[in-house]
Parts: sequence; C-alpha cells; structure tokens
Amino acid sequence: MFDKISLFMDEKLSTPMAKLAEQRHLRAVRDGIIATLPLIIVSSMFLVIAFLPNQMPADWALTQLIRANAGTILLPYRMAMYIMTLYAVFGIGYSLAKSYKLDGLTGGILAELAYLLTIVPVTIPAANEAVQSMALESADLTAYIASMPGGFLIPATNLGSAGMFVGIIVSFFAVEVYRFTQKSGFKISMPPQVPASVARSFEALTPTLIVLLVVSSITMWGGFDVHGYITTLITPLVTASDSLGSVIVLCLLGCFFWSFGIHGWSIVGAIARPLWMVLLETNTTAYAAGEVIPHVAAEPFYQWFIMIGGAGCTIGLAICYLIRSKSAYAKALGKTAFLPAVFNINEPMIFGAPIVLNPMLIIPFILTPIVCATIAWFATVMGFVGRVVALAPWTLPGPIGAYFATGGDFRAVILSFILIGVSVIIYLPFFTMYDKKLLAEENEEIIAK
Amino acid sequence: MKVLFVCSAGMSSAIAVKALKDEATKKGIEMEVTAVGTQEFEEEVKNGWDVSMVAPQIRHRFSTLSVFAKEANVPCELIQPTAYSPLGGPKLLIQVMNLFEKEK
Repeated sequence: MFDKISLFMDEKLSTPMAKLAEQRHLRAVRDGIIATLPLIIVSSMFLVIAFLPNQMPADWALTQLIRANAGTILLPYRMAMYIMTLYAVFGIGYSLAKSYKLDGLTGGILAELAYLLTIVPVTIPAANEAVQSMALESADLTAYIASMPGGFLIPATNLGSAGMFVGIIVSFFAVEVYRFTQKSGFKISMPPQVPASVARSFEALTPTLIVLLVVSSITMWGGFDVHGYITTLITPLVTASDSLGSVIVLCLLGCFFWSFGIHGWSIVGAIARPLWMVLLETNTTAYAAGEVIPHVAAEPFYQWFIMIGGAGCTIGLAICYLIRSKSAYAKALGKTAFLPAVFNINEPMIFGAPIVLNPMLIIPFILTPIVCATIAWFATVMGFVGRVVALAPWTLPGPIGAYFATGGDFRAVILSFILIGVSVIIYLPFFTMYDKKLLAEENEEIIAK
Repeated sequence: MKVLFVCSAGMSSAIAVKALKDEATKKGIEMEVTAVGTQEFEEEVKNGWDVSMVAPQIRHRFSTLSVFAKEANVPCELIQPTAYSPLGGPKLLIQVMNLFEKEK
C-alpha cells in the first residue's frame, strides 16, 4: 500500500515538480548565482575579521588596530559581495545562452551590458564660484572639494542584492534578444572564410544595438526608475520570506523532495536563493554600517541551525547510527556515514539508512527541521543569538559554520550544540525502532542459513 | 575502464565513487572513477569516458544530462537509489558493468 502511494506521489508529484525547477531560465539564475558563491564566502570573511573587535578585549593592541582600520579591511568586500549582482548577471547570461546552444561569452557580456544600462552614472558637479569663494575662507571646505572624485561614478547601491531582480530580468531580456536575432537571421553574417571569433563579434552587433537602445530608452533617456519600481514589487515577497511560516514551508518542501531521493535543497534554492541573497546582503550591509541587523531567515540561517549534518538535520541520526546501532548493517553504515555528516554531506544517510521511501525515518526527517527552525527562530528574534551576516562554506562542521555565519558569535555555537542534541532526541526513538527491525531481519537470515 | 559520476556538487558521489572503486579492486577490475558536479558534466563527459552515472538525487536533471552524454557517445544511466550509499558498492559495480557490457 505504502509502495503504491509513494510510487504515485513520485511519478505524479515530486518528479514533475522537480523538473519544473529545471526550466532553463530558473536553471540559469541558479547557476549564475551559485557561480558567485565563492567570492561571497571569501569576501564575507573580511566582514567577520573587521568586526572581531566586538568579541575581543578592548585594550588589546590588535583590537584597536582592527577597529581603527575596519573601513579599509572591508574594501575588498565592497568590490565583491557588496556588488554581487554585477557578477551574478554575467553568470546568468552565460548559462542561459549556453542552454540555447549560443555563445556563452556573448550572452554574458550582453546581460552585463543590459544590467549596467539600468544604472545611470553620475558626475559630481564642479564647485561653482560661490562655493569656491567660501572655500577660500575655510580650509575644511577646500580639502573637501579637493577630495571629490572626478569623472563618471557608478552608484553601487543597485549593483548589490538590491539590483538582483532587475539583473535577472534584463539578463533574460538580453539573451532572448540574442537568441531572436540568431534564430531569425536578423544579424550581420560573415562569409565562411572569416575566422569564427571575428564572425561572432559581428553577429553580436544587432543584439547589442537592440539591447542598448531599448534599455537606455527606458532607464536613461526615459528616466524610468526600474530599480525603484521592481523593489516596490519585490519587497512584500522579501518580507514574506523572512517569516517563521515561510521557513517551515521551505523546510517541508526540501524534505518532501528528499524523501523521494531528490535533491530538495537544490530545487527550493533555485527559487528561493535570489530572495535569500537579498536578505543576507541587507543584513551584511547593515552589519558593515554598524546598524541594527534587519533579517533572520537568510540562507545561512537554514544552513547552520536547521540543516546541521545535511537536509533534515540528520546529524542526530548519524550520531544514533554511530553509537547506538545493534544491527550489523547500521553499525557498518554509522562508521562510514558519520564523518561526511559532520561536514554536512548526508547522501550516505539518505540513501544508505535509507531515509528515502522509509516512513519510519521520514517522520523524524521532516519533524526535526521544523522543531530546530522554531527554536532557532525564537532564539534569534529574542536576541539570544546574533543574526546571520556572512556566508560560510557549507561543508564546515555545524558549530564552526554557525560561528562564522553570525559574524563570530559564541552563542551561535552553543545554539548549534543544543540543536544537535534536539536532533538526537527526536531521531533516537525512530532509529531504535528501525534498528530493531534491521536486527530482526539479520537474525532471520542467520537462522534461515 | 573509466567511469564518470555526476551529482549536485560532485561531493556526495565521491562516497559512492570510493565504494565502487573498493569493490572493483576486490574483484580485480581496473577502474578509474571520478565525480563531477552537474555544471562541469557537459564539458567533462567529452573526455573519453566509458560510462557515465547520474546520482539518484538529481534524477530530475537526468534528461538534460543524458543528452550531453549522448552527444559525447557515452552511455549514461541513473544510479539505483539503493546502490548509492557507502555500502552499495557491490550493487553499483554490477550496474556499471552491465551498462558497460550492454553498450560494448
């Protein structure tokens, strides 16, 4: 009976839903954003360093040194995570073009062009006569005028996560224009003797022209504030994603897919990651500016408080397998699956235990993340632990990752250990039941022989 | 023979890779096995592999991935879920060998 239901659910529900996440535009967004993760991870570590003085004795020379130079230490972060959409857009354009079997480089460049055209460069007006005459009397004002940068400046605000959704939309537009010109033959073609790279640059002329004219007409000459408009549209979505309800729904979805053996988090992430990035980057920016950190549920929150040991917070199950196994199979699995679990790799548990299509373990697999999410949510909201501000590599052991993600908060380490304990407590009765069943089967086999 | 594994990030399948290698060594079969992530697969599969195996948790991407494999003339199959674990080596070896024999 259970087999029939699960087969039906898998064929009619989970696999088709998972395939939806494979839609080429969603896939392009996913791949484009994932490609930026290394620089987000590394540059957000600068943030942790710059704010270490909060955790250190104030009279240390090192504390004072870091504190005095915090702004300078953060400069690499400003050129990486702070303007992450600038990087993501290239990846999105590249991936989408590749998925159409078009030239990836051209797709990436067109997307980047379309995105930058949504941002209007500014110049700082030169000091007029009135200001200059005032400057004659004030050394401060003279120094201030002298410190003004010349030339064109690109405002960075919308190059970060604030511009993410505009970036996604214009990348789609740019690559679709590229595809259209290629498919319809509305392009400048070169005779076959011309080298491929030269021919390609000519082929890219028409889509470039269209992208340039259309986007500039809207944003620069038309003066339409796309970023402001999209932000108004997206804000309710961002607010909604930062609630306990949506955290639980996303956890449920992720675990639902995994229960059928499908990589749930890559599917949930394909849709939710742009929102998580907005939440995280808003937090990071507030943290870097020394302001109150606004959001709770950015991706690191899930990673370090809900998915300890992998999806389903299976670290508890791995511990049960390691130290409480009676059956030979569970013992053998515990030995090999525990270490990967410490580094949040839990496919050995999911397929080995197995959790997949195993109702006895699916129950705690879905229950544990919800309990952990609720505890962590209230612990964060009530201020017992810091909010997440940095992206740490997901393969770090839970407590260490929690420490980095919260910008070096020791209380997050304690919370991580508490949640690991909670996970053990929830998994243990189900594990014991299942282990008994395995043991009984093993004994039957021995008797049968 | 050369076997290419593909999973989400190329990490979890490393564990199945080890299980398969150990089993092959036990049976005296010479086997080179490597795991890659989905994004590297399209390029990597062109580099002279005998078979390619897709991890079960990304089976929703199987159709996309098998097209890449087909273009490179490399047989491609989805790993059975029960074989995808540290203890699944024997099952995995049988599946890989069957696929290899079938396509030879």
